[in-house]
Amino acid sequence: MTFSQAAERHLDDVYGYLAWFTSDTFVAEELTGETFERALRLWHRFDPQRGSVRTWLCQVARTVALDHFRSERRRSRREQLAAPPERVDARFGEGLSPDLEAALGRLSAGEREVVALRILLDLDAAAASRVLGISETNCTTRLSRALKKLEEALHVAA
Amino acid sequence: MSQRDLVAELRSARIQAPSQVRERVRAIAAEAGAPSHPHRFRRRRSLVLLVPIAAALVGAIVLTRNNGSENDRLAQRGAIATVPYRAEAAPSTGTAVPAPSAKALAPAPSSTRVQRYGATIGLQVASPNAVSNAVKRALAITAALGGHPTSVHASSADKAGAADLVLRIPRRHVQEAVTRLSQLGTITSEQVDVQDLQAGLDATARRIARLQRQLATLRAEPQTPERDRAIASITSLVERLQRGEAATVRSAQLATVRLHVATPPSVQPVHHGHGPLHGIGTAAYWTAVGGAYALAFGIPLLALALLVWLVVRTVRRRRVDALLSRP
Repeated sequence: MTFSQAAERHLDDVYGYLAWFTSDTFVAEELTGETFERALRLWHRFDPQRGSVRTWLCQVARTVALDHFRSERRRSRREQLAAPPERVDARFGEGLSPDLEAALGRLSAGEREVVALRILLDLDAAAASRVLGISETNCTTRLSRALKKLEEALHVAA
Repeated sequence: MSQRDLVAELRSARIQAPSQVRERVRAIAAEAGAPSHPHRFRRRRSLVLLVPIAAALVGAIVLTRNNGSENDRLAQRGAIATVPYRAEAAPSTGTAVPAPSAKALAPAPSSTRVQRYGATIGLQVASPNAVSNAVKRALAITAALGGHPTSVHASSADKAGAADLVLRIPRRHVQEAVTRLSQLGTITSEQVDVQDLQAGLDATARRIARLQRQLATLRAEPQTPERDRAIASITSLVERLQRGEAATVRSAQLATVRLHVATPPSVQPVHHGHGPLHGIGTAAYWTAVGGAYALAFGIPLLALALLVWLVVRTVRRRRVDALLSRP
């Protein structure tokens, strides 16, 4: 598989993962571009025997997103001194109820990340745990907690 | 809403990258151009392993072959020069001549001074018969030059033979004797010793003259028993000194030539007990020694590095978890 084919096939997956991870579609658009730029540079290191292209692209996307979160945290610390940050409404794509979107927005980034990988991208536990750098058990536990939180949030909203 | 419904709704989310993102990613992918080769890295990594292994193998083979050719060279050298030239230490008053050239080796004895002349010649001949012939010819040369043998030892066994002769040859003919004896075979060693005796003889002559003057003085005086005993003692000493002087001069008239004639010693092939894989064995041995040292020093370092890595990873994970714990 060439890089172009990989990019064409998994662009939506990467974008969706980043959109749910960051809960900001504008940021996700920016990070998706950065992800594929970095993936192109690292493409020679991709080993198909160690995982699928989608898993590898998600790993690259996660690294890019973590860099973004770090820089955002530094920036927000500086800006909080001057003025509190403006709250941006989360958008997670078409087909979700407003209550579910709100509930997703209340989850932590780590919880949204595992929901995106396991449910949105439908990765198995092994692939998702490889992207997250944790054990499969830990991954399953995180997903379970996240779903429980969502369920509770929806119950409260109802 | 049940968890199954929740998961179903989450899965129903339709997320598509906006067109501008798609265009940007396509532009990035267009830079990739030619199809990539994901296996290139693995090939390079395998080269990193293969190259040192191949180098070690080649080195072991080269070492092994060098050992073999060294053995051959040693064996050849043994066949060509079986008895190395011996340059023995000369006496303090003697002369050691290292070069095996017969004419140049034997300096002419002095005609004015008394000298003790000695020569040692080592010869190599082809067979025990040749040893026998050389002995006969050496004795004939000695006799022809007015000398005589003082000892002759000859032995032979199987295809080897050797003879040792001690010859006494008039000093005036010694140079010719050395030249002719050297032609009986291939010279393997040669040594000439010349010891000057003239100074000692002169000292003895002076002492004798002094004693004789003393004798003359004693004889001129009136004889007493005590003086008679002194005259007898000095006379005896003078006679002893004169006999010694005469014996020295007589012995110096003849030079001593020691001749060693031998066949080449049988060449034993140089064998170190090393097989053709000795080089590889040596390389493996030193590799094992290096490995042991590497383990001894490497394991603590490795454990430390592992500990540092674990600490760094834990800290990094906690930071990431803290970073992702916010909505």
